[in-house]
Amino acid sequence: MLVEVAAAQDRTAFAALFAFYAPRVKAFMLRFGMTAPVAEDLAQETMLLVWKKAAYFDPSKAGVSTWIFTIARNLRVDRLRRESRPLAAVDILDPSDEPEAPVSGEAVVLTIEREERVRRALALLPSDQATVVKLSFFGEKAQSEIASELGIPLGTVKSRVRLAFGRLREILDDLK
Amino acid sequence: MMANHHPSNETLRRFSDGTLKSGPRIVVAVHVGGCPHCAERVAEFEAIGGAALDEVAPVDMSDTAYEHLMARVDAWDGKADADTIAVPRRAELGIRLPEALDGCGVGPWRWIGPGVRWSKLEVPGDPQANLMLLKVAAGRKLPEHTHSGREYTQVLSGSFADERGRYRPGDMDEADSDVQHQPIVDATGECVCLAALEGHMRLRGFFGRMIQPLLGG
Repeated sequence: MLVEVAAAQDRTAFAALFAFYAPRVKAFMLRFGMTAPVAEDLAQETMLLVWKKAAYFDPSKAGVSTWIFTIARNLRVDRLRRESRPLAAVDILDPSDEPEAPVSGEAVVLTIEREERVRRALALLPSDQATVVKLSFFGEKAQSEIASELGIPLGTVKSRVRLAFGRLREILDDLK
Repeated sequence: MMANHHPSNETLRRFSDGTLKSGPRIVVAVHVGGCPHCAERVAEFEAIGGAALDEVAPVDMSDTAYEHLMARVDAWDGKADADTIAVPRRAELGIRLPEALDGCGVGPWRWIGPGVRWSKLEVPGDPQANLMLLKVAAGRKLPEHTHSGREYTQVLSGSFADERGRYRPGDMDEADSDVQHQPIVDATGECVCLAALEGHMRLRGFFGRMIQPLLGG
């Protein structure tokens, strides 16, 4: 779908991407402790960049969800920086986004393999550990929420995060 | 050139999920840019982020969100957005700086002790970044110090050694606050490092006390 957006500025394909990802990026921002209006705004900004950068999407580097995750992550970090000082720059299209060389089929295959390996590893992880791993990508606030939900101290959640990532590492290495 | 010393798994995870502070993030970016091993780890972590994004319970956007967005798409002229701030001042240091430092302000080399110079780096939007370059002459010791947080050091040129091993260009040293180290630069040539701190550094000794106020610690 992203390829269609890039090649033909296909609005139908983009509408489908928006319907799937915008509410998820918004949820991602909310979990990081953003207010609802800020979360909505950052979800909009993320999707605007998806449109603007669609031509730069490099399937030899990441899958679509992973790519959109990194855009949302960078916008979140930039927003935090701008709040601390209003005049900071936001790199919208930095030179490193430009595909340096023609995308090689081999690199694309390696990326697809990595994405599959990570998802298989997450599926093989005991479900409570998989939950901890994914929630850890939504920041400290999400971790505090796990702590209060489970009635355990934040330090315990953090050591569970480390443990879960250790286990995930072993599974990923086994799958290679 | 294959690095022998790498960031910890936890640091690579925090780099990937965006929770690493800007100073350490830049040091890790320089390492990852030159280390295929760590680049693959980061790609894996980002793929976990992608999987997490797919599976998070979605939260509805407002009813007009899509129309508003398409209005902005229509208004877009197809060009890259211009940078919103002036390029920060960059002193000429006589060395080639890594691309990850492109947006940073670069202070001139300042003498802080025999054979030791440092340059303060300014990260746009983060005056507290605690990011610096250190240039230490062959055979010299780095200033003896302890720190309240973790210290990240990426070797750009030359090499140094301490009780934990030898660090060469491309290597990254991650030292926790319990490490009290005093690395010594190898006799073969001067050593330039990019360093960032979480928390504050406590320098010891005469020169340490001189530089301390400059670091704002």
